[in-house]
Amino acid sequence: MTKTSTDTAQASPTKRFFVSMLTRDIHLADAILDLLDNCLDGAMRLAGGKEVDYALHFVKIKIAGDHFSIADNCGGIPREVAKNYAFKMGREPDDDRDSDAETIGMYGVGMKRAIFKMGRNALVRTRYGDDTFEVPITSAWLAAKNWDPLPINEPTEASEQLDEPGTTIYVNDLYEGVARHFANASFENEVRTAIAEHFTMFLQWGLKVELNGTPVEPVRVEVLVSTDENRPAPYIYRKTIDDVIVSITVGLNTGKSLGDDEDDDAGFERDRSSATAGWTVLCNDRAVIVGDKGRLTGWGDGIPLYHPQFAIITGIIEFRSKHADKLPVTTTKRALDTSSNVWLESLVKMKEGMRIWISYTNQWKNHPRSDQSSHWEDARPMALSMAIETVASRRFTKKTNDFIEFNPQKAKVLPEPEDKKPSSRKVMFSRPAEEVHLVSKMLFDNPDEKPGIVGDKCFEMQLTKAKRQGG
Amino acid sequence: MSAGSSLPYRLRPNKAVDRELFLSLLMRLAPRLTLEKYHYIGLGGPFLEDFRMIHGRIGIAKMTCIETEEQVHKRQIFNRPIASIECVHKSLEDYLDETDFDSPTIIWFDYTEPKGITTQIERFARTIGTVQIGSILRITLNANPESLGKPDPKDISVEAEGDVSEDRAQKPTTQEWRLARFKERLGSLFPSGLTADGMTHKNYGRSLLRALKLAVDKEALSFRDRRIVWALATHYADGQAMVTAALVVCQNDDQAIEELVKGWEFNSTTDAPHRVALPALSTLERLTMESHADARTKMGFDLPKSDMGENPFEVFKKFYRIYPHFSRVEL
Ligand SMILES: Nc1ncnc2c1ncn2[C@@H]1O[C@H](COP(=O)(O)OP(=O)(O)O)[C@@H](O)[C@H]1O
Ligand SMILES: [Mg+2]
Repeated sequence: MTKTSTDTAQASPTKRFFVSMLTRDIHLADAILDLLDNCLDGAMRLAGGKEVDYALHFVKIKIAGDHFSIADNCGGIPREVAKNYAFKMGREPDDDRDSDAETIGMYGVGMKRAIFKMGRNALVRTRYGDDTFEVPITSAWLAAKNWDPLPINEPTEASEQLDEPGTTIYVNDLYEGVARHFANASFENEVRTAIAEHFTMFLQWGLKVELNGTPVEPVRVEVLVSTDENRPAPYIYRKTIDDVIVSITVGLNTGKSLGDDEDDDAGFERDRSSATAGWTVLCNDRAVIVGDKGRLTGWGDGIPLYHPQFAIITGIIEFRSKHADKLPVTTTKRALDTSSNVWLESLVKMKEGMRIWISYTNQWKNHPRSDQSSHWEDARPMALSMAIETVASRRFTKKTNDFIEFNPQKAKVLPEPEDKKPSSRKVMFSRPAEEVHLVSKMLFDNPDEKPGIVGDKCFEMQLTKAKRQGG
Repeated sequence: MSAGSSLPYRLRPNKAVDRELFLSLLMRLAPRLTLEKYHYIGLGGPFLEDFRMIHGRIGIAKMTCIETEEQVHKRQIFNRPIASIECVHKSLEDYLDETDFDSPTIIWFDYTEPKGITTQIERFARTIGTVQIGSILRITLNANPESLGKPDPKDISVEAEGDVSEDRAQKPTTQEWRLARFKERLGSLFPSGLTADGMTHKNYGRSLLRALKLAVDKEALSFRDRRIVWALATHYADGQAMVTAALVVCQNDDQAIEELVKGWEFNSTTDAPHRVALPALSTLERLTMESHADARTKMGFDLPKSDMGENPFEVFKKFYRIYPHFSRVEL
């Protein structure tokens, strides 16, 4: 049996270790998205549980070789929150801020992690109501061994004021790699795309996000829906699982079928489909994953691996909850917690929806999309909630208190090709362009007919001959 | 090789000016980079005109002409204007994959085929990291938006200055349809925020150049020893619309070359390419326009606007110095 001595062993983390661990797993672009998340959480807090009018809010982001800044008018940080929580690394268990709103902040690291990822010197200036103050995070604080609290400074000059309630974060003394990225046009493009995709719902509701002075336009993730009972509609499903409302739709997007397209980037099995093909996962309106075509969302797991033939299939799943910790997301908020029950249960339904459309594209594989188009004529692209609303009123939709489901295959509203021949086989070969031109010229008096058509005609000629010989 | 690209330069004045612009860039850089020691690689077409000119103006001896079509390749060997030109029967891509360059290079990716634009752009971008520092790369891309395909007219609505066809809400316009195809083709190279307006004949070239710039910038992030200096971008049409861009792969800390390029009168970048749309002129018109500050008044008539909507007098003023004289010679 031991007894306690007067000595103790140090167990707190060093600042250096902490900061480098914290920033290691997050991508630079995701760090910026984290800051945008905070702006939206701010707007939600400002609305105090009522519906947020996003059209009233803006977020202006600037990335450059020598600094980063983000400015919003989303209500600012209350002084009490700044004093006790906002700058703390991680949330305390008894911290129940925002428990009545569908915010996404939960681990209490986003803002700090983003700042530490970018540079050595930062200033957070905020105005909540009429209370304006700022918190500097300097390289001296970062280099210091202790965990002294950060100062809260109050403005003395007009230039230190903010026009309206909101928050501005400024970071400079950027790390070398960060500066290189911030000055690079393709990185700016990546960030713009990421915002357009991940915040598409908020942008569609009117939130104005500017990146380096240019507004970001939302990327629409939509499926085709017919309003006519007897015409094609996507698979839909909605159910509450463990306090999380899960909504799913799987259907066709407005892309072109690529499988039967003439191959213009020959020899390259590239994915030329729009980003919105595959699965998009939303959590409290943020898109966590966009256009996933891998195992994560079920491809190759009891159903075929993703292939360009499936580029016309889009799936959307949404998780919604007031308890952010029940959502199946990880701390980076751009990845899923795939071991959670909500996710596993949902995945079964996601696959069910995918199978319908995989077999649909298989049936139509050797037919140009124009053959199908008459069936889809009056179909319109719709976002998830609108699609569910529209399809929910169909006669064939199963509805009970806690779930809705519509399966277009079972409702028999999916078109089938007229000459559906189970014995159809694909014949494929490649020849040098000169030779194709030569044959094309002979058959069509035009050297530039499509190779597929030239090949098909050649086959037909031989077939006629074979039949004549009484094959 | 498409039929269009084997037309001689004299029938394609805008292409001729475009080439003169590139030669002018090379001449500006020649003393600084000692270009005569470089290796020039291009797709010469049956007549190898660009090889003759580059040899003549810069004095490069080591030159390689790449060609995939056998008959054209044989013709090139026959037409070869300078004995030191090596003619290779291969695709440019295969040649680049198989060759280790022991000197800096000038490579002209003279793509004319609209098909495979993404592969072309990616290939060009990838090359900035594989050539030696000091190399100069140039690309030509087909900038005809119709190459994205033709929608079925019944799938399309129309819109002009606020007036729309009845089906506008359900169906895309031609430009929107093209935008969707463009996005499908480019995948992650798609410039975020690009709108349907970027798919018109007038703007498509610029949209392509934006994608090209993004692809190169993305690649550049992976190399710390080098930096890209964009030197020349053009948009021209003699029948087929084309865009070109040329860049210099510089040492990371180099300032001198960038200054040299920035100070050049024809310096242009991918976001503002020169629109080379010269009017077809009689000899008398041309001489009058060269010698009179206000030729429009002197001549007393207007010249037709170019397809790209440029004012022909202004375009002429900008480029007349390098607009070659063509004349007919009976042999
Ligand atoms: N732009 C902002 N507007 C309003 N409040 C903000 C803003 N940025 C940060 N905050 C406040 O700072 C807190 C800490 O942010 P963060 O480190 O991202 O952790 P979390 O969002 O997980 O709580 C947030 O909860 C929020 O109260
Ligand atoms: Mg947060």
